Amino acid sequence: MKKKLVLMSCAILFLGSVFAQQQRVKFTEFKLKNGLDVILHQDNSTPIVAVSVLYHVGSKNEVAGHTGFAHFFEHLMFEGSKYIGRGEYFKTVLNAGGELNANTSFDRTYYYEVLPSNQLELGLWMESERMLHLKIDSIGVETQRAVVKEERKQSYENRPYGTILEKTFANAFKVHPYQWTPIGYPEDINKATLKEFMEFHSIYYVPNNATLCIAGDIDEQGARKLVEKYFGDIPAGTKPIYRPSVVEPVKTQEVREIVYDNIQLPAVIMSYHIPAQGTEDYYALSMLGTLLSGGESSRLNKALVDQQQKALQVMSFPFPSEDPGLMLMFGICNMGVSADDLEKGMDMEIEKFKKDGLSPKEFEKLRNQVESNFVKSSSSMEQIAENLSNYKVYYGDANLINTELDRYLKVTSEDLKRVAQKYLTKENRVVLHYLSKADKK
Amino acid sequence: MKRYTIIIALLFSAFYVSAQTKSSTLDRSVRPQAAPAKPIKIADYQTFQLPNGLKVFVVENHKTPTVTYSLVLDYIPFLEGEYAGTADITGELMKTGTKTRTKSQIDEEVDFIGATLRTTSSGISGEVLTKHNEKLLDIMSDILLNPNFKPEEMEKIRKQALSGLQAEKDEPSAIAKKVGSVLMYGKNHPYGEHMTEKTLNNVTIEKCNEFYKTYFRPNIGYLAIVGDITLAQAKSLVEKYFGTWKKGEVPATKFTMPAPLAKNVVAIVDRPNAVQSTINVIYPVTLKPNTIEALQAKVVNTVLGGGSFRLFNNLREKHAWTYGAYSSLQPSKFIGSFKANTEVRNSVTDSAMVQILHEMKRIGTEPITKDELNLAKNFIMGNFGRSLEEPSTIAAFAVSSAINNTPNTYFKNYLTNVAAVTPEIAKQVAQKYIKPQNAYLLVVGKASEIAPKLQQFAEGTEIQYYDMEGNRYNPAEKTKKVEGDMNAEKVLANYIEKIGGEANIKNIKDAVIVGQTEMQGQKLSYETYYKMPDKFMVKMTMQSMVVMQQIYNSGKGQMSSPMQGVKKDLEGEELNAMKDQTVLFPETEYQKLGYAVKLLGIEKVNGKDTYKVEFSRGAIKNNEFYDVASGLKVRTESAAGVSEYADYKAVNGVLFPHALTQSAGPMNLKFNISEIRINTNLQDSLFEIK
Repeated sequence: MKKKLVLMSCAILFLGSVFAQQQRVKFTEFKLKNGLDVILHQDNSTPIVAVSVLYHVGSKNEVAGHTGFAHFFEHLMFEGSKYIGRGEYFKTVLNAGGELNANTSFDRTYYYEVLPSNQLELGLWMESERMLHLKIDSIGVETQRAVVKEERKQSYENRPYGTILEKTFANAFKVHPYQWTPIGYPEDINKATLKEFMEFHSIYYVPNNATLCIAGDIDEQGARKLVEKYFGDIPAGTKPIYRPSVVEPVKTQEVREIVYDNIQLPAVIMSYHIPAQGTEDYYALSMLGTLLSGGESSRLNKALVDQQQKALQVMSFPFPSEDPGLMLMFGICNMGVSADDLEKGMDMEIEKFKKDGLSPKEFEKLRNQVESNFVKSSSSMEQIAENLSNYKVYYGDANLINTELDRYLKVTSEDLKRVAQKYLTKENRVVLHYLSKADKK
Repeated sequence: MKRYTIIIALLFSAFYVSAQTKSSTLDRSVRPQAAPAKPIKIADYQTFQLPNGLKVFVVENHKTPTVTYSLVLDYIPFLEGEYAGTADITGELMKTGTKTRTKSQIDEEVDFIGATLRTTSSGISGEVLTKHNEKLLDIMSDILLNPNFKPEEMEKIRKQALSGLQAEKDEPSAIAKKVGSVLMYGKNHPYGEHMTEKTLNNVTIEKCNEFYKTYFRPNIGYLAIVGDITLAQAKSLVEKYFGTWKKGEVPATKFTMPAPLAKNVVAIVDRPNAVQSTINVIYPVTLKPNTIEALQAKVVNTVLGGGSFRLFNNLREKHAWTYGAYSSLQPSKFIGSFKANTEVRNSVTDSAMVQILHEMKRIGTEPITKDELNLAKNFIMGNFGRSLEEPSTIAAFAVSSAINNTPNTYFKNYLTNVAAVTPEIAKQVAQKYIKPQNAYLLVVGKASEIAPKLQQFAEGTEIQYYDMEGNRYNPAEKTKKVEGDMNAEKVLANYIEKIGGEANIKNIKDAVIVGQTEMQGQKLSYETYYKMPDKFMVKMTMQSMVVMQQIYNSGKGQMSSPMQGVKKDLEGEELNAMKDQTVLFPETEYQKLGYAVKLLGIEKVNGKDTYKVEFSRGAIKNNEFYDVASGLKVRTESAAGVSEYADYKAVNGVLFPHALTQSAGPMNLKFNISEIRINTNLQDSLFEIK
């Protein structure tokens, strides 16, 4: 009887909604005695399984003079363990028909394997090995030190506009560790020692700072037992975990820098200080990003790329971060257009929105776009594992994978105007102009 | 209509070890065995054809409430010649208007339903939530069947494409790709030709319409529909929206396979600022897709560089020279290609080349061990299995089989055929397809640092130098020859066009240009006044005192320096030179002024290619430099010194440089233009010679 009532009210609720009910991602979660958070998602449609471990440590946990440490460490996690020899880590996964990778952000480091589902146990064994028994030596450290420096060159220094994030965050943050990016500075990468790495592992790479997620072709009960088997006896970490509490002071003056780069077309990057991900204003700002540059009919695309032809490309989005971060607006100039000119154009669109807001029709479009993006964001097992882990770690609620859309849909058109007026102000921003080195006299 | 289900047992033999051994201590040294392999199921697809020839493939999958459409037009690549870029521009133009919708309407409608839509030179694709499915189809069909190319949209796309070409000049991987294809196929080959500023400017609406009418035909079309849709729905929708699309004859061109190289060729594209060398070892191959041999070659290439394999292990894990090193062996219905590539710091460019060639040689001479071969095979089979998670994979298989005219059994037997590759087969295939002695060794990097070390690979021949367009040049010559039919007149006409066009320039009746500079710590202000057709005055002031003044007025000229009490009337060549100054843009009237012009070649100015044009009149010879990419004038060299121009901004529809540098001998002055006023009705009295 009671059940029926609940269903009835649900039906009524959904009757009024024009939005698709998101396909539910079902999952179970539990915590091991040592503090490891575990999330299981069973989907038997394809015989594959994603195994991932998220360690709640990123470049934010570094201190000045030791930048790039968390990312450097990520490379070392593939070096081997007590029972997995150097160079065997990749090989073992490939031999099992799997793939693997990892990435490091400001806030966390994430490792995953996607394996044929009959190799689940192998994946768990491997992840447990490097949590419990990571083995690194000086050869590994020196090799990866050089590799990381080449990665820095390839992805940042030798690439047009490659230093944008580094320059942006360095200008925007003066006290918070977001002032450096995960790749770090070469002089710091040069300094890191084997001893410091082992210390780092013992502080951060512990079960009570990790979230294990398994998504795919599993039997939940069996998977749970395997998790207990490989992770149950890993001792919890006892050392204090450094989480910076420093708050970046409110900016009162626009910061500007001209960067001369090996580029042909100038670029403009404007970054505004905004609240952390998950806050009400963050959702509004995220929608504002879509309003400005999501799709060809969006404000900046239509005005600057299409009608005025000032830009070759524009983008605007809040950079998701656990502590208050930045909303980025990025434009590459069309030929013959100066950075000043493009900046003026971008400013004009922002000011117009702050003054006039948006029509009900444009608001409806925006909600439709947000819904569509949300539906598409969890389609593969790998994506689902990563989303579940992020939601769990950042918000303490893995079920946001099903319900986060509601948070977006709660944003009103007044909210959009309000956050634009509140955050998109000159004194709250950093403006970079990227110009060609050839123009530097 | 075809329909099949294939179930393949995984080929790994494995036995199950119960995980529930409840001992108190786990023996972690024991690597877990795989559980029994699950069968890999290749899902169903369904297919039908419309009377107009359009082939449709439907993969039903209701996991997420979305549907994707992907239409591919399968025509044979052809040479576009002086109109290179037509196909690409047409692809972009497709979504900029139909007979009943403007570009804004299309964009608005697509975004309103949260859909994506993309058009290219060889098709159209889109993704949409199920509930808006028909709306997207309505737009797609309108775009495909009723396009309406408009000149103003075309100009926008042309400008974007020109900017894109410009941007590529600092992307090492884009440069390597472009120059590499010129090396392999030559510029007169569909695979080796590229659009350039020049060919892009040749493209017309008529050419785009012709391309559309010829190649956008249903009889060469393959439409894949994947997602939350049934066959019956797909059928009725496709008939409704694509049924009236008219078929037509599509020309089939033929092109030739380039002759193999007798020995390695070393080629360099110089990037003086590079901190890494981008190395590409490349050559074309004949290898047909969806064949057993292509699969065997895939196994060989995987061992060599298909991921964390030999090249990666050698260059990254052993030597730590790079973030990654890989190879690819791409089969094609037409011409396939091999590529080994990496990016390494400048100082190890030669060492990296040695190791790449060593690995390429080794794979054809030493047998691959069973373990290593199995690793590659397991990796390939794993990729195949994982790719099936994505429902569009099934559609891609179906379309690939249809386009390449290969049997469906290729994908059905994929795993078996990979498993069947032995070390012996691998070695044979490696010898046939991996050619360490017949390759282009292309390096994009800092020539001054790397060229001497790369000479050893040129086998006694010269290192070849190419610019970013793939034109070969002699590095000993500063000025490069201009290819094609560019001449001085065209450079000047293009410059006039780029700064705003003759009409806008002719609209200027008078002009005032105000700028500032610093000389030995003193601030100088500089004002120039023009009144058409024959009045000119320039004045330099320091703290509102006139330092120097020159006036030209209808045949008379005067120079004065009041602070030094100098005042003199000008005559002869001095007067002529001053008369030249009355013309704001000498390029518009050089003939009237008595100059002859000549295109001397391409020379770099501040790292950018420019056309060098000589202006001569009697003994006077000036050189003007026009940026190849932007068309704008960036430098003047004359007996008086060198001027450079930058920071062009539009005033009254004409671009004026707002930053000038003048150097004469050791003197170097920088002018910032703070103000330009046009048509303010300057009085004649201003130019009076007293």
